Amino acid sequence: MSALTSDQIKVLEQSRQRLVQLTRSLGSLIASLNQSDPLPPWSSLQSQASIISNNLVSVSEHLSDHRDLLSSLVAYPGPDYPGRTQASTLEQLLRTKLDPRVQDWVARGRTAGTEPPAVDASNLNSSAIAAAAHAQKPLSETELADLWEWAPIEANQEARRRNWGGNFTLEEREAGIQNVVTGLKRQLEDDEGSEDEEEEEEDEEGEDEMEVVGVHRKSGGNGFEFEIAPHHAHAVEPVVPLADILRYMTTGRMQ
Amino acid sequence: MHELLLFASVPVHQHHELLQQLTGLTAMQPRHLVERRLIFKAYRKPGLVTSRVGGSQDLQQSGDLQRVNKMLNGGMFYTQVVGPVSESDFSTSGPADPDTQMEGMDESKPTAQGTSTYDYEQQPWKLEFRDIPEAGTRSAVTSRVMASASLPCGDIIPSMNAWGYSFVTEYVVEGDVFIQNDIVIYLHRVLHYPSGEQEHREPRRHLPVLKEMTPLEKSGSYVLQASINVLDGSNQETMKTASQRLFGLREQLKSAVRLEQADRLSLDTRAK
Repeated sequence: MSALTSDQIKVLEQSRQRLVQLTRSLGSLIASLNQSDPLPPWSSLQSQASIISNNLVSVSEHLSDHRDLLSSLVAYPGPDYPGRTQASTLEQLLRTKLDPRVQDWVARGRTAGTEPPAVDASNLNSSAIAAAAHAQKPLSETELADLWEWAPIEANQEARRRNWGGNFTLEEREAGIQNVVTGLKRQLEDDEGSEDEEEEEEDEEGEDEMEVVGVHRKSGGNGFEFEIAPHHAHAVEPVVPLADILRYMTTGRMQ
Repeated sequence: MHELLLFASVPVHQHHELLQQLTGLTAMQPRHLVERRLIFKAYRKPGLVTSRVGGSQDLQQSGDLQRVNKMLNGGMFYTQVVGPVSESDFSTSGPADPDTQMEGMDESKPTAQGTSTYDYEQQPWKLEFRDIPEAGTRSAVTSRVMASASLPCGDIIPSMNAWGYSFVTEYVVEGDVFIQNDIVIYLHRVLHYPSGEQEHREPRRHLPVLKEMTPLEKSGSYVLQASINVLDGSNQETMKTASQRLFGLREQLKSAVRLEQADRLSLDTRAK
């Protein structure tokens, strides 16, 4: 058994540093997810994710570059190792099998890695594979490619048939807009506003409010007590500040 | 009596939802409430003794009496006279049908009135005095001294004038009340009488059509008020417990509305 050369020690030191970086960026992502309320903006999440993935790439490159060295290295305690006080570290260093939890992760990673279509599909486009997911089988690579090829053209064609802008479609306008059932109590103007004509939710107060189902305000970790107030398409924020209302209620004057 | 309060502004689009959430939270149906609120302002009557020199010797005074004295002789305050009404008290339609028009209904107003069963003479009133919220409170709730008293039914202007109060204005508050343990949750908004009527020098004897009342806040937003009444405001322990309860409610409603302390000066009832 020969002692390590300084180059080899450098390699080991580099792998340690890269792993430290990786744990650090993972830790900061976890901390920002746990601590900030509401969730941090998606741009910061994304940049953190890309940092992590860069770290992962560099770790994996490094490991594969020095595969020969790293796989041939054997750890053993030197005579001056404080075996009594550092027993747990020693066990970690000397164990030849992975931790059972880690082994699970690795197994999951391997199964995911051996089914590339499934991984790709779920990463690339969730809506396009909705049909496939319904049938419980992922799209193959070629099917996905076909889908991507087909979709933009088709969407473009569909878009060209419409005259965008305004509350009504051409067909509706030709048929007479007074016949259109919008489900709204207010009158939609013909020339401006949004295109969407959603089903209106039940409306007892005569307010014209529409609920966009599934869009929820981010609220971090406090989603337990209540349904989070949904985001409204036609939110009308109060104009008069609360203080002025209270002042009026108290003295009959706004100022 | 002390009153601890938290307020929140509720946009109109959230109103229906919040009603449902509060119904679930308090496990009770909302109790709809419509109130006439008359604002009175104290004025100093000529010759009235305004301060009691040497009054400190008068140690027999009870706390309530002191407060009444303060109310009448000390600083001058705005005070409210609140009368509960029901929706059926409001006129049913705009232009009145001459057949159903009751005799003598029209004497005070040339504008056509719809029919209603509202009888001003039978209107019960309650005087609600509110002090300016305490300054510099440690906790983040609005707390103020309050006192209420029943008044005789009907025309209260003469009696209020006799006490040194003049009528300022009136409005209607409509809303829903929920009770959760000690907390009264009142989701309400202010309605103006239809504009176009001449300035009123005294409370209206007839109520217009409810639908013609316009909200003070043009978008129709509501005010959520959570309050606890504490009988003995000098007892720090109960005051603290009450604030804690309000904070508990604030926490429960956190994802729906933000209950906050009100701006103290916006609740300033002192008449300048």
